[in-house]
Amino acid sequence: MQFCGLLLEKIEAITTVNQFKICSSNPSLPSNSEVDEALAGVLSRTCTLEGRLRTASQAYNKLGEVKADAQIAADMVDKTAALARDVSAKVRQLDLARSRVAECQRRVHDLIDLQLCSAGVEAAIKAHDYETGAAHVSRFLSMDPGSVAAARARGAADPRDAMTRAANTLREHLVHKFEEAARKEDEASVERLFKLFPQIGRAEEGVDLLAKYLAKQAEATIRRACVVAEPHSEAAVFADALTRVVEAGGAAVEKARVPAAVVAPGLLHRAIKAIQPAVCLGAGCVYKDMVISRRLDLDPRRSSRSPLSAEPILAELALAHSRVRLYFGFLRRKAEADASTLPEAAKKASIEAVEKIITGCELMRTGQDILAHYLEVERYFLEESVNKALKLSTPQTGTTTSSLVDDVFFIARKVIRRSISSGSVDGACAVLNEVASVVERSVCAALRRWLRAPPPDPLPLPPPRAAQLTVLDAAGELANRLNRDVDAQRQLFLAHMNEAEAGGEWSERLAAEACAEAEPLCRGASERAKLHSCASGLGAAAAAFRAAHDLALAGVKAALKPRVHAWAEVIVDPDVGPDEMDDDADALPLALEQFCEGARAQVSARTVDALLLGVLADVASRAESRILHHHYDRVRHGLLARLVGITDFKIEDIKRLKL
Amino acid sequence: MEDYKFLFKVVLVGNAGVGKTCLVRRFTQGLFPPGQGATIGVDFMIKTVEVDGEKVKLQIWDTAGQERFRSITQSYYRSAHALILVYDISCQPTFDCLPDWLREIEEYANNKVLRILVGNKTDREDREIPRHIGEDFAQRHGMYFLETSAKEAENVERLFMEIAVELMEQAKCKELPKYDGNLGPINGGVSCRIRFFVYIFLIRKLLQ
Ligand SMILES: Nc1nc2c(ncn2[C@@H]2O[C@H](COP(=O)(O)OP(=O)(O)O)[C@@H](O)[C@H]2O)c(=O)[nH]1
Ligand SMILES: [Mg+2]
Repeated sequence: MQFCGLLLEKIEAITTVNQFKICSSNPSLPSNSEVDEALAGVLSRTCTLEGRLRTASQAYNKLGEVKADAQIAADMVDKTAALARDVSAKVRQLDLARSRVAECQRRVHDLIDLQLCSAGVEAAIKAHDYETGAAHVSRFLSMDPGSVAAARARGAADPRDAMTRAANTLREHLVHKFEEAARKEDEASVERLFKLFPQIGRAEEGVDLLAKYLAKQAEATIRRACVVAEPHSEAAVFADALTRVVEAGGAAVEKARVPAAVVAPGLLHRAIKAIQPAVCLGAGCVYKDMVISRRLDLDPRRSSRSPLSAEPILAELALAHSRVRLYFGFLRRKAEADASTLPEAAKKASIEAVEKIITGCELMRTGQDILAHYLEVERYFLEESVNKALKLSTPQTGTTTSSLVDDVFFIARKVIRRSISSGSVDGACAVLNEVASVVERSVCAALRRWLRAPPPDPLPLPPPRAAQLTVLDAAGELANRLNRDVDAQRQLFLAHMNEAEAGGEWSERLAAEACAEAEPLCRGASERAKLHSCASGLGAAAAAFRAAHDLALAGVKAALKPRVHAWAEVIVDPDVGPDEMDDDADALPLALEQFCEGARAQVSARTVDALLLGVLADVASRAESRILHHHYDRVRHGLLARLVGITDFKIEDIKRLKL
Repeated sequence: MEDYKFLFKVVLVGNAGVGKTCLVRRFTQGLFPPGQGATIGVDFMIKTVEVDGEKVKLQIWDTAGQERFRSITQSYYRSAHALILVYDISCQPTFDCLPDWLREIEEYANNKVLRILVGNKTDREDREIPRHIGEDFAQRHGMYFLETSAKEAENVERLFMEIAVELMEQAKCKELPKYDGNLGPINGGVSCRIRFFVYIFLIRKLLQ
């Protein structure tokens, strides 16, 4: 840079001289002295320029030296890199060589072990040291198959033959010893020997042997459990026996599961398969005895059993069924726990295997038979109890109260709860169906029958002043007084009407209760849907109750009609003068108030409202038709005047009434 | 809420193995299930179909045929709108049991229930019950009759659709004009004023 600067300066100086030559001929240019001055300036700068040139050439020489040095360094780096590549390749080779050596060593070890193993197994068998023997076999099983193949390739005799022979001998010994221990019920040896089977690659055989042993044990327990000492006892002796049976089965399964879970997971189904027949057999025995002792083979309708005496049997049947269900639930849970450590597919297969045993076993069918008997007797109990309640509630001269609906729902609730206690969704559904059917078919039908024909004046509406005098009414009054039963009839009618109303609410409450209580029994959405659908059958019963109540309501309204019409006549009577009319202004409201008060003491507030609404509608429409009939203006005006006086309500209030 | 106007319960009965479950599965899921186990108790399926532009929900109850489930299955008869009694056309015993099934139906079902006799498995070569025998039986007992094959999907759709149509017609006939307890709209003129009088009382009562 500096160097270039110098050159440029030089050129600039020369150009200035040339310019100067050109310019000197020009008279308007500077004088000579000025030129001299400039020349002197230029010359004085030559010195510095030369100095700078010297420095530059020195620097150039130095640069050449640096370049040579750099080249040498670059060559060196290249060489080092090549060397490093070489080294790493060598290291790799070394690694490979070492791993091969290790493999060779292992194989040699394997082969030596194999010799040792077969000899060791035999020695261990002789010494009854089965743990060591099994450890040898386990070693053999974990051996690299390559070792043996390599040995054989070199023409050696297959070293596995000896080992396999030794392993088989060990297995035979183990089986033999196991059976011996099982015979002696030597629990500790059984457990010890069982743990060796998975080591010699025979986990299944071990589980089978253990299960066989446990099944035999359970069989003995179950045989004792089956015996019912007092078959005619009222207590749930058969359900208790069945409980003992499934408990013995469950204990055996658990005994198989605990050791197997550690050494042979996912094999519980094999154990269950061995143990289950004993449980099925025991449960079958208890069931058969129960059928005979409890006379379940007879149609309950034809047996001489009273509904009352059926109750202990029902409780026992429900309990027995719930025990079977609990046992199956236990198996399912255990199977899941047993397979929990397995990969997904194996887990599914293992659980499915257990499910298959459950659905195919005799105990399942026994459970279904128990449920069938339960439902048969329960239906009988329900029908008989409801019939009895109906009989007690059948209207008789003089009765004024009824507890039919209370009684029936007490029975229904008891029956539904019992069915849920059986643990079966199908059972609960069937009972819900039966309850809905009996309630609708018997109870609602009876209420409808009783409510169809109301007694005279079930709820009295005071007559208008003018009409009080009519002969007809007076005669009816007299007749009523003469018939002392009428009052009782009225009360009973209203009692039934109230029952019909309560029945609707009861039905719905019962359905909701049943759904909530049976919810824990449901396995899956489809069982839940089934339950809810069956419970909704009680909704149909509720509708039937409401229909009966509506019938009663219609009857009461019809009975009120004559008085209502009389009131309508009075309201629109053309012969009433304005003064009289004012006196009467409050007569109808007063009468209605009396009616409401009387009714409220006898029927529900909702029913009173409905009746009042009906009466008002009737008065209105009757009065309307009468007023049209009379074409009577005076009344119209009179009414209007009266209305203006007492209208202190808002139009919204009317709208809210949805009239 | 669910969008349907009619809900009908259809219950299938008949001996075990005649193909009740297959018929239901064919109709509700459109498949012929390979080797499923026998039904236990009752199964419950739903399909909504359309009849004359109206949604009809069919609640189909598939029952187990074995004797020991009888007390469960019987409890479903009474609320059924239609009962399908199925036999296997290639299995005489399933036909011979029909009178027993009819007795059950008489005892437990509503006497107005729609009853259909179905001879299933028409795809099979080894037919044992000629069509006219089934037809005669149905006619004698006042039942509709149809032969089906759940396997070949023959007449299955038709079976359930005809039931839906028939039940809907019945339901429409039964639909009575609703009880009308209302006073009706408030008209002007005289009647309006009369009503006023009555309402005042009512409102006073309600405001108390
Ligand atoms: N060939 C033929 N086999 C059928 C038909 N329907 C059902 N099956 C078979 O009959 C057997 C019993 O059927 P399933 O539906 O379980 O009878 P369910 O006991 O009445 O429910 C099964 O093996 C089915 O494969 C059919 O239409 N044709
Ligand atoms: Mg089936």
